[in-house]
Amino acid sequence: MNWPNDRLEMSAQRLISNRTSQQSASNSDYTWEYEYYEIGPVSFEGLKAHKYSIVIGFWVGLAVFVIFMFFVLTLLTKTGAPHQDNAESSEKRFRMNSFVSDFGRPLEPDKVFSRQGNEESRSLFHCYINEVERLDKVKACHQTTALDSDVQLQEAIRSTGQPEEELNRLMKFDIPNFVNTDQNSFGEDDLLISEPPIVLETKPLSQTSHKDLN
Amino acid sequence: MKHIFNSYENVNNTARNDSDCPRVVLPEEIFFTISIVGVLENLIVLLAVFKNKNLQAPMYFFICSLAISDMLGSLYKILENILIILRNVGYLKLRGSLETTADDIIDSLFILSLLGSIFSLSVIAADRYITIFHALQYHSIVTMRRTVVVLAVIWTFCTGSGIAMVIFSHHVPTVITFTSLFPLMLVFILCLYVHMFLLARSHTRKISTLPRANMKGAITLTILLGVFIFCWAPFVLHILLMTFCPSNPYCACYMSLFQVNGMLIMCNAVIDPFIYAFRSQELRDAFKKMIFCSRYR
Repeated sequence: MNWPNDRLEMSAQRLISNRTSQQSASNSDYTWEYEYYEIGPVSFEGLKAHKYSIVIGFWVGLAVFVIFMFFVLTLLTKTGAPHQDNAESSEKRFRMNSFVSDFGRPLEPDKVFSRQGNEESRSLFHCYINEVERLDKVKACHQTTALDSDVQLQEAIRSTGQPEEELNRLMKFDIPNFVNTDQNSFGEDDLLISEPPIVLETKPLSQTSHKDLN
Repeated sequence: MKHIFNSYENVNNTARNDSDCPRVVLPEEIFFTISIVGVLENLIVLLAVFKNKNLQAPMYFFICSLAISDMLGSLYKILENILIILRNVGYLKLRGSLETTADDIIDSLFILSLLGSIFSLSVIAADRYITIFHALQYHSIVTMRRTVVVLAVIWTFCTGSGIAMVIFSHHVPTVITFTSLFPLMLVFILCLYVHMFLLARSHTRKISTLPRANMKGAITLTILLGVFIFCWAPFVLHILLMTFCPSNPYCACYMSLFQVNGMLIMCNAVIDPFIYAFRSQELRDAFKKMIFCSRYR
């Protein structure tokens, strides 16, 4: 990173240390050569505060800012207390739970089903978003996902009119970690942003439900 | 750099003043190691995306853009060290026109890498934002064609800006433009991610009350933004101080840590693949496949 400092910075440093030990007469040459970059000697006399005060202040400020940001984010999570149960919210919750229960069936945790898991979770995710925005589509998603077997589920997804290519595209993009989880990696990485969609395994429903939204 | 000459002048001409801030010099080997690791990591990311058809999606292209800019930054450091070594050994003149031209090219490479990083991070955040908030229209908003166009525009702009900034590097408006990009982008990314986080929180609230889920999101966000801030802010402040208060002793003491600040940017190039690219299970699988396939061949 010699920009914006002098590009000859490091070589100048060595050359100075080499040459000044050999000949002092060339000091004037060096003074002239680097005069373009010269501002003037920095006087360290009469400092009121510690000379590294900017350094210390900057790093402390940076650390405080990041920690403050973290605490604000965690406070945001903690102040998210569950809504009081009214009819609508409980119905919503029931629907979301039933979504989750449909996906909470034991699946075989091998790669054969991972793709299906991708499709399911993508549709779950889409149902998810829809559920927040428009309650009507929840029903449609609900029907397409309320199936017993993975094969049937796949067929149902395909029968909703999505072309195969679109489905493959859906499988490609990763969704930030906030709204889906990969149960495989639930224990490993907590700090994921780009996680693939849910791959469901033989886990109890409670784990499934909150992992979905991790 | 001015302060560097100042301090050396003090050393040479006068008795060393104990209140001077000595310049912190890091061994070249550290820079070399970090740069090479950065280049290799980002090269792996690029290869993994290039070799896998199912990874050729807009999201991974943006991550590739970030990997390219990190790789350019590490390459810059390697080239610069090679140039310095050549100069010290004596193959290159100190102020020849070839050397200054090479210096200019390398410096514009550095600025290109910085700007590329900044814009890649912004575009990754925007892509994720669209994924969350316009999920159903995602594929009509973020098409491959638009991805390529956006990336081409970004890199053309960065190249032009890099060349312009090197040419006008001693002017104050250049410095102000450059340093203002950093907080602007930080605010932009912060807004996007916090909004995404709030949406995730509201969803989680409806379905589950487990705080751990949201805590993960908070930790993730903090790491993403924290790494960016910690790696870039010192260098940006250095540029500002160098432009506006080079003779101030406090500023000079901060600027004596220039190599540490530079190393942080190199570390950013090393850390970025882990918090962006390798967070994706698909990319990790592609990477493992690459390693194991090459092992069994």
